[in-house]
Amino acid sequence: MSTSTLAPPPHIVARGICVDFTVAGRVNRVLNDVSLSVPKGGFVSIIGPSGCGKSTLLTVLAGLLPPTVGDVSVAGVSPIEAVRQRRIGIVFQEATLLPWKNALDNVALLMEVAHAGRGSDEIRQRAADMLRLVGLEHAAQKRPAQLSGGMRQRVSIARALALDPEVLMMDEPFGALDAITREEMCEFLLEIWERTKKTIVFVTHSIDEAAFLSREVIVMAANPARIIEATPIDLPYPRNEHSYSAPEFARATSRLRRLLKEGHREAVAA
Amino acid sequence: MTAAINDEAASVPAGIDAAARRGAYARGAFARLMPPLALFAGVVVAWEAVSRLFNLPEFVLPPPTAIIAVLFAQQRDLAYAAYVTAREVLWGFLLSAVIGAAVALVIARFAAFGRALYPLVVLFQNVPKVALAPLFILWFGFDLAPKVVLIVVIAFFPVAINMLVGLQTVDANLIALMRSVGASRNEILLRIQIPNSLPYLMAGLKVAVTLAVIGAIVGEFAGAQAGLGYVIQFASTQMQTSLVFAALVEVSLLGMLFYYIIEWLERRYIDWMPNAG
Repeated sequence: MSTSTLAPPPHIVARGICVDFTVAGRVNRVLNDVSLSVPKGGFVSIIGPSGCGKSTLLTVLAGLLPPTVGDVSVAGVSPIEAVRQRRIGIVFQEATLLPWKNALDNVALLMEVAHAGRGSDEIRQRAADMLRLVGLEHAAQKRPAQLSGGMRQRVSIARALALDPEVLMMDEPFGALDAITREEMCEFLLEIWERTKKTIVFVTHSIDEAAFLSREVIVMAANPARIIEATPIDLPYPRNEHSYSAPEFARATSRLRRLLKEGHREAVAA
Repeated sequence: MTAAINDEAASVPAGIDAAARRGAYARGAFARLMPPLALFAGVVVAWEAVSRLFNLPEFVLPPPTAIIAVLFAQQRDLAYAAYVTAREVLWGFLLSAVIGAAVALVIARFAAFGRALYPLVVLFQNVPKVALAPLFILWFGFDLAPKVVLIVVIAFFPVAINMLVGLQTVDANLIALMRSVGASRNEILLRIQIPNSLPYLMAGLKVAVTLAVIGAIVGEFAGAQAGLGYVIQFASTQMQTSLVFAALVEVSLLGMLFYYIIEWLERRYIDWMPNAG
């Protein structure tokens, strides 16, 4: 299912992914024959109801979980190899920061492990640069408890970007934030994306978020977990708060809503 | 108690000057201390009144004034007894902390060995250890050693179990991130798990220090030549009930002193507790 409307070479390709979880002797298929392709520098969202396997799909793409069946390649290599080569940065729903370290040290954490040979000055400089990129240079000395939810998630994004990955895998990163902060973070993420040219895979259950951010939205359904459609979003970049009132945005969200409802009805009927 | 203190700390805005925070804390401490002190004074006055009103014999229930009189009259003997007991508590507690932390680290770091060790630790925890006190006297004599051993077998468990929980309740996603950049298990233990376990360890130490005082007194009951437990036992056989209470007062003060030292250390060095933020 090659779905890109533009022509850049695919950066992430998944073919025929199945994932089975065995719980108490019973095999549960949480992902069934999922294929997708994400172009280099693309912004693809994966949307679907709870339990449709969208987060599982992301963990497979991010090399955290090997698929039971199927092939995945990220930048031409397996996800596990891509992780080893630091081509993949991950952001989770929770910021997963260390509460005893300040923002700067949290951003430096993974670099300190990955580049154990490099000088600490160099690492801290890079961490400070990343904090500036996410607009938190003033909060370098603050601990997570002193930061708002949105700021904590910015630190988490800075930590992921610090290792300069080609791909950013984000699992409902703004899911725990309030509505206004969410919209701010979406605009902020697009800015980062335009500046850094990363390939971004973004899991969400928010239709507006998916439509606002993405070049393409992959719509999933549950029972059985599968992809219904990959929908291109024809909303011009750069996008900002005015994009929400653009007719293209309304068209995209109503199409996504219809697809999600169809998927839901089929699941209920089955 | 702890929660109240943490609420107080949390209500102070972040980034405030440290001296101002200490000042606010001192004022808060006064407000917090008033109700328990007033209640305590009320109980003491009622006690005094009851023992005078009903003319209770002093060997049954001495009035607080009689206890205070003994506290002053025998202060040198009591001070020496307190020193002996404090030394037992201190050594026993320190060894409990070290051994408890070591057991937790071994179980967390070496999974296979941990699976073998953990049930044995739990089994051992269910031996009534007070019953071991006569054995320890038999093996280690009447001095410091049997009390320290008894304290360790009583008090290492809460340290070990609390720290183990702290080592194991680490966000799985964080571990995944660390692994993704090639962190070794030792690195994850050192950078993530051990710091994460420290607030839990402190909670275990607070329980352990209370148990350590009990262990010292029970150890002295089983056989001793000095110490507050020894004084309590000796005085009760002599019907010197005022002296029993005087020694009890010193035991309680000793326990509180150790407890608040740990709480002070906790507040001073481990200020990222989830409920303190």
